[in-house]
Order: sequence, then structure tokens, then C-alpha cells
Amino acid sequence: MTAVAPPKASPLATSASDGPILHAQNLRKTYKLGRIKVPVLRGVDLQIRTGQSIAVLGASGSGKSTLLHLLGGLDHADKPSADAPPPSILFKGTDLLKASTRTLDTFRRRRVGFVFQFYHLLPELSVLQNVTVAAMAATGAFEYWANRSAIRTRAMKLLERVGLGHRIMHRPAELSGGERQRVAIARALINEPDLLLADEPTGNLDRNTGASILDLFSDLHRSGQTMVVVTHDESTASRCDRIVRLVDGRVQNS
Amino acid sequence: MYQLLLTKRYLSSKIMPLLAALAVALCTAMVIVVWSVMGGFLVMLINSGRTLAGDVSISWPITGFAYYDDLIKRLESDPTIAAATPMIDTYGLIGLPDGRTETVQVQGIDGPSFSRVTGFGDILYWRPIDRPTEKDIGKQDLRLTRHDLWGDLLKGGLNLARIERSKANPQGTERPAVVLGISVSGFNFREPWGFFPGLPMIRGESGEKKPVDIFMLPVDGSVTLNVLPMDSKGRAIEMVARTFPVANEFYSGLYEIDRKRVFVQLKALQDMLKMNRAVKIENTGGVKVSANPDEESFTSAKVVGESPARVTNVLVRGKQDVFDTRDADALATRVAQIYREFAAAHEGQVPDSTTIRIQTWADQNATMIGAVKKETALVLFIFCFVSLTAVFLVLAIFWAMVSEKTRDIGVLRAIGASRSGIAGLWVFYGLAIGLAGSLVGFVLAYSVVTNINAIHEWMGQYLKLYIWDPRVYYFSRIPSQLDPGHVVIVLLGGVLASCLGALWPAARAARMNPVEALRFE
Ligand SMILES: Nc1ncnc2c1ncn2[C@@H]1O[C@H](COP(=O)(O)OP(=O)(O)O)[C@@H](O)[C@H]1O
Ligand SMILES: [Mg+2]
Repeated sequence: MTAVAPPKASPLATSASDGPILHAQNLRKTYKLGRIKVPVLRGVDLQIRTGQSIAVLGASGSGKSTLLHLLGGLDHADKPSADAPPPSILFKGTDLLKASTRTLDTFRRRRVGFVFQFYHLLPELSVLQNVTVAAMAATGAFEYWANRSAIRTRAMKLLERVGLGHRIMHRPAELSGGERQRVAIARALINEPDLLLADEPTGNLDRNTGASILDLFSDLHRSGQTMVVVTHDESTASRCDRIVRLVDGRVQNS
Repeated sequence: MYQLLLTKRYLSSKIMPLLAALAVALCTAMVIVVWSVMGGFLVMLINSGRTLAGDVSISWPITGFAYYDDLIKRLESDPTIAAATPMIDTYGLIGLPDGRTETVQVQGIDGPSFSRVTGFGDILYWRPIDRPTEKDIGKQDLRLTRHDLWGDLLKGGLNLARIERSKANPQGTERPAVVLGISVSGFNFREPWGFFPGLPMIRGESGEKKPVDIFMLPVDGSVTLNVLPMDSKGRAIEMVARTFPVANEFYSGLYEIDRKRVFVQLKALQDMLKMNRAVKIENTGGVKVSANPDEESFTSAKVVGESPARVTNVLVRGKQDVFDTRDADALATRVAQIYREFAAAHEGQVPDSTTIRIQTWADQNATMIGAVKKETALVLFIFCFVSLTAVFLVLAIFWAMVSEKTRDIGVLRAIGASRSGIAGLWVFYGLAIGLAGSLVGFVLAYSVVTNINAIHEWMGQYLKLYIWDPRVYYFSRIPSQLDPGHVVIVLLGGVLASCLGALWPAARAARMNPVEALRFE
């Protein structure tokens, strides 16, 4: 099920080689509820190749979001222990599990884009600002100021691409769910991430709206975007190159 | 950068932070107003204290010292000294035309030289004026018309003399007279616009006001002054009373002085206090200064010489302004030196240079100035402490806002914001609120301080609320002075306080786990 994707035309993109852009091994995540330990991930292995689109399928509560947060450097996996093989998340040779907070911050800024089920737009900002704010977070104030018109143009282009070019001054509250998710996608793409991580992007949308969002993802994939889409919906998953199932805290390739 | 954007958005879309800014504004305004009024009070106190005291005073109370003319000559020939003047400082009783008697501070002065030293001439109230005073919208000030009358009074006031003209003598003759503080007689009433018209009424026996024909003390009133002469050993001789016409009245602005001080011609007071030139007679007990050269002595005394006229004080004014106490001290040192030379020249005839009292204006008002300074510090401390509530208000509001914005914080972290970036967002936000609050506070304080007397009068007129009663406070106007240095300190304090209040919530926001923040409902 390996997809051969064209190289992405972006300076941040990895080389055209279809070697793994991200390689996770033996990921474990255990939550503690008081004294009780709740193991959610019990040794996950996952390889993502450049240009691939991967669907992570699993029942609700199976740990899909947890996995995605680990891959995006947003959460910490369990510390290595003696009775388990050593965990690692290699991103282009760098182990995220051993990286400093600074490196992780930079990684999130430059390398990944998150799309969430509940969009998570900032309610005070306009549509356009919700997109550019990610560029602001990714650059220093002076750098942003120097490149602000270029960034703005990029944001406009992205918003046009997701079909919201005419609503840039609106507030998120004035948009429908599908439109909000499109803004969130544009935000995730503004820093030209190597990896797009989407957590049930259609989970909160009706079938038709969801389908159009998925069309957008397919479109992005065709233009070379590497992505991991978390879902519990088989039909959503079937649009991806590869499906992995999360069962009992482990990955089952299908 | 996103900090700036979000701060701007949060500021314009939330009501709570505006309340925090308002609290900061009120606190800074409060502290600035208090500091300005207390500071202005102090400066006014110092200046008013100086108005009638000179820079340095040489004093030998009650019995006084002689050869002061020589001392003044020596002082005035010094290049650092502008002028010096003799004075007698004592207490007495004044009998007023309506039968009232009051205790007063009586000072015998030589008008022209006293004016050079203390600026006495500038505070004489009855004088011709061309323009109405600030608040005198109705131009009711009597001094605007009849300039010839006020001109005579001004001249009389300066010389402590009443000029009495008649048809036979149009030039007029001068009679020794007194100059009263504007509030001594109780016949002058302070109007809201701040002047004292001639009194059309007089107080009756039981205190009620009875209308009479226009009666003005300096024009045709006289008062009786009672003073107590002492002998050279400080023993009281019999009380002496004399009636003086009133030449003018003065308005120093310092209520205690305006209420209690009476100036009288130096010569006249010397006569009354037996401090004029006297004949020395011999006694079995030794040399005795007789109060009256004509007086029969019990022992058949032999005239052994003459005792020169005496005064209790010589007031000195330096050429350079001595508002700074160090300059005043330098002047006092110079005066002490001159006195030493003077005392050496009059060995045994004047108080010794080690016992004479030489004080600067600051020494003389030290208790009062020190008290006001301490009071200022204390009041400021209390108000700053009260202003700490602003810190807690900012803290509480920010704490609530951080909770409310938990998910947004998670989102920002997910798009790459660092912990310090998130902390920076809230501190920056606190800074913005502090800046906005301080700025509004400054505008508020500025308008209050510059209009404080108008506000006070308005409150008195419409709310019947007189906070600053001239009978309680020293000044009839609320003094205030906006010191740029103080303003900057307070404004910086306001900014700092809100940053401080933002610090803890900011740390909490920074410590948040982004994943939990994102899951936050
Ligand atoms: N902070 C937490 N503390 C304890 N348990 C948690 C925490 N976060 C998630 N879980 C649990 O971990 C499991 C996996 O959660 P999640 O990754 O969100 O699943 P999914 O996204 O597949 O629905 C769930 O049972 C959830 O209750
Ligand atoms: Mg989930």
C-alpha cells in the first residue's frame, strides 16, 4: 500500500526520497488515575513515508488522539523502562523523545500542522488572523513584521484554496462548522508543514460537509502533502493510502 | 507577535480587563492626587512660613538685645546678605470695636525694611487693583474702584501709619498704626470667589449679625493693643494698653498667621514694652535698668548711663534664594560669624555669641515641616498599600481569563508557541492594561489636581461638603503641585503593579499541559 507521491514544492519539504519521514517505535503511554495505571498505548510502531496519507482507525477511547499528540511532539510518551524495548520517534533522524522543549516547540512550528475535531479557532481573531497567527507563532516578531505581506498573501491563497477567500474578515462564530474546519486546515498549512496531523477532522460535521472536507484532504494529498488522519469511520479511512488500526494499544496494519 | 495581536483583541473584546485597567487608573490617580496635594501643601507651608520670617532669624526673646542698628549695618555690608530688619516678637491681647478681645501674636516692625526682608508689602490686602481676581466674575471686589483710598491704605500699611487728611491739612499727618491679619478682626468675610469685602454688618452681643452702615476697619476703625512689658530679669511689669488706628490688613494665605498676627510700628511697641532707650540708674543691689527714665526710684539712685533701645529679633534675607535648606544653613553660618564679630565689639552689652539663637526658616518651621513630611510619607505609604488591591484585582481577573482561555492556550502551544511565549502573552497583556490604566489615571489625576479648588467649591456649593475648611487647615486654597518626577514614579508603579498581578496567572498559563488544555471543555 505504498503510495508514490510527487515531491512537495516547498523549501521545508523533505527530499524526494520516499524513506520514512517519521518513524515511531515502541511507543507507550500510560495515564494515571490516582493509583490506577491505565495503559493506553502499549508499544506502537508506525512508519510514515514522505507523501503518504495514513488513516489511523480505532474505536473511541482506543488512544488515537494520544498517538497523534505524541507524533506531533505535543505530549510525552512513557519513559523508557527495563522491561520494554526502548521507545523512539525519529523525525528525519532526530529522536523527538530525547529532544529539548525548544526543539519540540520549533518542530511543532515548522514541521507539523494540527487539525482538530472541534476546529479550535481563536474566537477573538478574524478568519485571516486565525491563519496568520500560526505564522506569527512560528517566526520572531521582526521576521514576521518584515515578511508580513508575503505571509498575508500566502494566507489569502490558502483561504482561497479552501474556498473561504471571500470571508477573511469574519469571526469564527459567524461561520458554519465546515467553514471553520477549512480555516483550521488553512492554519495548519500556513507554515508549510512536512506532516499534517488531523484528529477526526469530520467527526463533528454532517455527512455532506464531511465529504467536502475529505475531498480537500485528498486534494492536498495529491499535491504531495504527507498526512496522518485519525478517524473511527471506515469510509473516511478508505480514502487514504494506508490504514492502520489501533487495537488494545497496538497497531495492526491492514 | 501573536502576543501583540491577541492583547489588542482581548483588550477590545473583554469587559473584565477594562475593569482591571480602571482599577489601575483609579489607584494611580489617587496616589498622584494625594502626593500632589501633600507636596503642594508642604511647598506652600514652607513658602508661607518664609513669607513673614526671613531666611535667618537672630533672636533673644522677651528682653531683647541692644545695638541692633550696628548689627544690621554689619549684616547688610556682607555681600551674601540682601537685607536685615529689627523686630520685636511678643504676645498680647487685642480689643476689637465690637467688644471682643483676642489673644494675638504682636510683632513690632519697621515697615520698609521688614518688607525688604519678608515681602510684607506684597501681602497687604487693601491696595488698588486693576484686574479682578480669578474667581471674581461679578467684579464685586471693592479694590477695583476708589483707587485713591486704597493707595493711601497701601502706603499707610507699608509704614504702619494711618494717614489722616483734613481740609486744613490736605497732605495729611501720619499716626502710628497696626496692620492686622485679614482674619483677626472677624469683620472680613471670605466669599467663594476669594476676597474679603468691607463688612456691612457687625456681630451683636449674642453672636447674631446686625447690619450697620458700611464699616471698614482700615478706613475708620481702631483697636486696642495690650502688651506686657518685662524687666531685664524677665519679670512682668504692669500691662500696657494703647489704642491704634488700623492702617491695613494682610493676607498671607496661612490661616494661623492671618488669624493671629498683628503688626505694629516698632517704635510704638518699644515704647509700650519699655524697650526704648532708657536711663541706667545705680541701685544698692547693683545696676538696674529702670523701665521709665522719669520714674522715681525708691532708693535715691544715681544715673550711671543710658540703656539703648532693644529688639527681640533681627531677621536676615540672603541675596540668593535659600529654598534649599543647605543654602539656608550656609547663610546661617555666615550670620553667626557676623554676630560673633558684633558681640566682640559690644562685649558684655549684648548676649554672647554662644547663647544667642540663630535659626534658619527651616529650623523655625522644623516641627511643622517635619510633621508634614512624615505625614506625607505615611499617607503615601497607606495609599500605595491600598493600591495593592489593584495588583490583586488584576491577578483575579487574569486568573479567571487564563481559565477561560485554557483551550486557546492549548491551540497556541499546538501551533508552536513556547511556554515562555505564552507567559509573555499574559505579562504583555498585563503591561498593556497597566499602561492604559496609568495613562487614564494620569489624565484623571491631572484634571483633578488642576481643578481641585473648583471641584472643592462645587462640592461645597451643591453637596454642602467642605472637606478643606480654612478654619482647620492653614491655607484658604487647597495647594497642589504636580511633580513630574513623582508622576513618573507613580505611573511606572501602576504599570509594574499590573505586570506583577499578571505574573502568577501567566506562570500558570505557561505551565499548562497543552494536551490537557486542548481537551479542556
Ligand atoms: N489526561 C488523561 N488522564 C487519564 N486518562 C486519559 C487522559 N487523556 C486520555 N485519557 C484516556 O485515554 C484513553 C484514550 O484517549 P484518546 O487518545 O483521546 O482516545 P481516542 O482519541 O481514540 O478517542 C481514553 O480512555 C481516555 O479516557
Ligand atoms: Mg480522540
